[in-house]
Amino acid sequence: MPIIAGTAGIVATIVVVFGVNYFGSPKFTDTGYRPVQPVPYSHKLHAGDLGMDCRYCHTAVEIGAKATVPPTQTCMNCHVLCLPESEKLLPINQSWAEKKPMEWIRIHKIPDYAFFDHSAHIIRGVGCTTCHGRIDQMEVVMQVQPLSMGWCLDCHRNPDMFLRPLNEITKMDWIPPENQLLLAQQYKIDRNINPPTDCTACHR
Amino acid sequence: MSDKPKPMKFPPKAFQLDPDGENLIDSAHGKSYWRSYDQLANSPEFQTFLENEFPPGTMDLPNKLSRKKFLSLMGASIALAGLTACRRPVEKIIPYVNAPEEIIPGVSKNYASTMPFGTNALGIVVETHEGRPTKIEGNPLHSSSMGSANAFMQASILNLYDPDRSQAPSRKGYEVRWEDFTAFWNEQLTAFDAVAGEGLSLLSSAFASPTLFRLKTEFLSKFPKATWTVFDPVSDERIYQGIELASRQKLQPVHHFESAAIVLSLDSDFLFLDSNNVANSRRFSQARRIMSEKDSMNRLYAVESGFTVTGAMADHRLKVPSAQIMNFTIELAKELQNLGIPVEVDLPTSSLTVGRDHITWIKALAVDLATHKSKSIVLAGYRQPAEVHALVFAINDALRNNGKTITCYHPEHTANSSVTEYQKLVDDLGKGSVKTLVILGGNPAYTANENGEFLKGLNRVEHTIHFTDRENETAQNCEWHLPVSHFMESWGDAVSFDGTLSVIQPMIAPLFDSHSLTEIYSLLSTGELTPGFDLVQSTWREKLISGNFEQVWHHVLHDGVFSGSNYQAVRPALKNKNIFTKSEISEQNLPGLECVFIPSSSLWDGEFSNNSWLMENPDPVTKVAWDNVAVMSHSTAAKYHLKNKEIAKFTADGKSISCPVWILPGQADSTVTFSLGYGRTASGRIGNKVGVNAYKFKPLDSDIRQGVRVTGTGRFQIIACTQDHHGLDADKLAADAIHKRLPAILREASLDEYRLNPGFVKEVVEEPDLFSLWKDKSYDKGFQWGMSVDLNVCTGCNACSIACQSENNIPVVGKDQVERGREMAWIRLDRYFSGDLEDPEMVFQPIACQHCEMAPCEQVCPVTATVHTDEGLNAMVYNRCVGTRYCANNCPYKVRRYNFYNFTKDLPEIVKIAQNPDVTVRFRGVMEKCTFCVQRINQEKLRAKNNHQDLKDGDIVTACQQTCPTDAIVFGNINDPDSRISKLKKQNRDYALLGELNVRPRTTYMAKIRNQNSALNKNHFEKHIQ
Repeated sequence: MPIIAGTAGIVATIVVVFGVNYFGSPKFTDTGYRPVQPVPYSHKLHAGDLGMDCRYCHTAVEIGAKATVPPTQTCMNCHVLCLPESEKLLPINQSWAEKKPMEWIRIHKIPDYAFFDHSAHIIRGVGCTTCHGRIDQMEVVMQVQPLSMGWCLDCHRNPDMFLRPLNEITKMDWIPPENQLLLAQQYKIDRNINPPTDCTACHR
Repeated sequence: MSDKPKPMKFPPKAFQLDPDGENLIDSAHGKSYWRSYDQLANSPEFQTFLENEFPPGTMDLPNKLSRKKFLSLMGASIALAGLTACRRPVEKIIPYVNAPEEIIPGVSKNYASTMPFGTNALGIVVETHEGRPTKIEGNPLHSSSMGSANAFMQASILNLYDPDRSQAPSRKGYEVRWEDFTAFWNEQLTAFDAVAGEGLSLLSSAFASPTLFRLKTEFLSKFPKATWTVFDPVSDERIYQGIELASRQKLQPVHHFESAAIVLSLDSDFLFLDSNNVANSRRFSQARRIMSEKDSMNRLYAVESGFTVTGAMADHRLKVPSAQIMNFTIELAKELQNLGIPVEVDLPTSSLTVGRDHITWIKALAVDLATHKSKSIVLAGYRQPAEVHALVFAINDALRNNGKTITCYHPEHTANSSVTEYQKLVDDLGKGSVKTLVILGGNPAYTANENGEFLKGLNRVEHTIHFTDRENETAQNCEWHLPVSHFMESWGDAVSFDGTLSVIQPMIAPLFDSHSLTEIYSLLSTGELTPGFDLVQSTWREKLISGNFEQVWHHVLHDGVFSGSNYQAVRPALKNKNIFTKSEISEQNLPGLECVFIPSSSLWDGEFSNNSWLMENPDPVTKVAWDNVAVMSHSTAAKYHLKNKEIAKFTADGKSISCPVWILPGQADSTVTFSLGYGRTASGRIGNKVGVNAYKFKPLDSDIRQGVRVTGTGRFQIIACTQDHHGLDADKLAADAIHKRLPAILREASLDEYRLNPGFVKEVVEEPDLFSLWKDKSYDKGFQWGMSVDLNVCTGCNACSIACQSENNIPVVGKDQVERGREMAWIRLDRYFSGDLEDPEMVFQPIACQHCEMAPCEQVCPVTATVHTDEGLNAMVYNRCVGTRYCANNCPYKVRRYNFYNFTKDLPEIVKIAQNPDVTVRFRGVMEKCTFCVQRINQEKLRAKNNHQDLKDGDIVTACQQTCPTDAIVFGNINDPDSRISKLKKQNRDYALLGELNVRPRTTYMAKIRNQNSALNKNHFEKHIQ
């Protein structure tokens, strides 16, 4: 009896530990998060088919910590002329008319005790799709990467495959070329890249 | 339930902490922020709770469900609910509709403005995030702050976000609109137009502002028979009267401490509480700071009755009761005359009956002053009568200081307080000759209601209107109450003591339905609301700016100061020999005590009563928080058989006040100091019922009451004091051991000793050559952060503590928790006494996390929540912390703070706006401590790297460093040999606190040096070092 109890105990512990570590990790809980937004805005249409650059709307990504979701004004830049009566645009038009802001659902989020700075990454040459995936193929935006601390550290400890030429940051279909590792060495020198692995880099 | 639980014994054992007291009671005051055992003790509902832990009826389930049914129902609902609760909570991201061009979310913007503080104009720079102000700093371009900010300036941001501010106007208790008031006021204006304003009376606070002055003049020209009284309970009135008495001119003095080798302060707390203290501290520290034993240092003499921050900085301090300082000054003037200094005033005969060594003191002081002509400053505090100020003017004149170390100006655009005018107003109110009274700011029902006369008079007025930020004691007795905007929501302008003009610009639209003081002044004379912006611009356009207005205006707004706008200095001269009307000054030796009323170091005159940061900020000298106390000396207490914290009753002239006693070494015998600003009844959730209302005992026209008798009541009050080391608890455990270590903790020497032995700092404690058990980490690459604190210039003002609280979202814990030693301030000012028990010296030492290279805290954390970064910072990772508190236990400096409760749970929404979004808000169960402002380090490193620039020395300033009025704290990269910090650490006065423990702290201190006059206190330090 004690042997069975002992084995059962060990097996149960292993199962629980595995279960928590797998089902509780951001890779399981966060990737694939695809909430329904108040307006069926299609990045596939705008960023993909129309070829709009990410920074047209997400303006602060190179100059600040947050990438910012565009104000209603940015949408109205085009949609005051393009398809103004479209049913899908009704909430946008309402927001513009009543001067009440749109309430989008936030997808990519790290906990409040960690601080992330977009500009540091963009200026160093990390592309949008590296962390956010192929946005230009998403009708509804989905979180594809776990954005967990372990995932961030994987790149911070070894960024070579993720550094791009600075004019290709927003290129959706960029893949690292064959001599990426060699190029990355040069990037690291030119751009003074040494990603911090200290706790205080993000936890303040 | 089977057996009745036993009732709780009250008060619980944990509360009986004071071994001195016999009967301990909870105070009726000090309603704590989070808990209130007072309520438990007093209210009858809770009494039933105590007797019966579960009052009848609470144990039964509703609807008399049986336990079986209950469980089955619960089980079913869980099954139905499924695991939907385990979904990720939906968070919204809400952009603008029309994004303002200049705001980048996540990036802060700084705007310059000015903080009006009485007649002071303090230049500030405000950091705003997405349109809301979060932090105040001093404006380096403004001469009144020179880049620094004192505790009041730092904490005033919380006054903006005060949940107890009025949100709308009210009339007789009912909410009304501003339009209702404008309609009413227009009727009043028509009525008063006919009689040129007779019966119309205005009472305002003092101000120094071109626009307000213009509006006041316009009002009085429209209504010549109206009266406009200016009154503040704490004002510099007597200083101006004295100067006018002596020079026959109305002058504003500005003291240039940086050029003074000798400074004599007569009851003047010029470094801390008196006017212009930020600029004073900055200037004073320039003459105080030394780089080596070859440098020269100024010398400060202080003559005072209470122990102030200035007295602590003094090289020589003499205890003299406030009422006898006039005698002292006369004796000094006579001595100067003996030395040939032409003090051309007819001096009366007087005698001084203070300590036996005052004669040597005065002689040595006079010699010192006489040998430093035109390089000294003599100044007296605002509480002293006009004659003292006049005599001080004459002394400065004779010492040829006027024009050199003291410059005088003709003040403009200023309305100064006058207590005689106020008394006249109260008389008029009593006679019933005032039909309409408008009160602009202030709180006379609380601060100036002697014998209840003001309120009695108020009731005789037909229409009473009070403009103020909350429904305070006065507003509750007025017909109309209209909210005034905070200065950070207002357009306005201000002029500083030396004539520097600046604009007050708003950072945020008024949070509530309020209007700025500028708009209100204009409303009163015109009957309509003009935007404050237009009013200020029109003043500047007409009178002040010539030339290209728009360009200059934008420059002024950008810089926060109108450069070149200083007054022209005037050369005043002594014009009056007959300052003293009597030919003999009596001894002023009334029997009984003298009570001196000072503005609170935390709450000022009551203006900051509802400010939780300031309420919890301990008084620098007594270290008492959340209370005010009657400070007296040990011998006074012994004479009247009073014990520390005993509630005593003070009586004089038919008035009485009960206040807990606090024994402070160094307080003048027979002087008791009371702090004003406490005992409020209508301030808000923080200020109400905290402390004792000392205004009830204060005479209206004076800050001193004499002939006071005192009796103990035998009842004690629990006082939250953050430092119990007041030199008297010699029988407490380990007190002796601590006492022996103090010379090593606070290394101090006189200038002569330092010059004889420049390396004295290293000799205080033997630091053997220590090695570590494991391979040392090498800190020779990249940035290595370090800090140096110069004890020589630190005044102990607590500005760093409040700045840190503002920058790092440090919570307020309430009186109860502070009393248990759980205050959360990351940087604390330790205060030590040294020397004679009755006449000690006081030193301050700011201590925050020392960021030890061999940190004892890092070694014991079971979850590695605290680690050491490659740049030398001791990092705290809040999410890993499980709350073992072993790290705090191991810290030799005791600088770690633990969140015992969720202090931000009940924080009102509006107060959350004040928090810094770049710093984590900590939850219950998490340890926190100084991080060397890592958010600022990261931001600056990022900014430099993004712009492809090098990070220069001085780019990164920690919050404490930036605000320090004396620039005592310096932070920087110790790996850079050219940085300021590296040079400071190389000085021979540099030492590590508890360095002998081999923790290798990155924060080091520079020993305090006192520039002692060799003619005085010869044997003092020999006594001390033993």
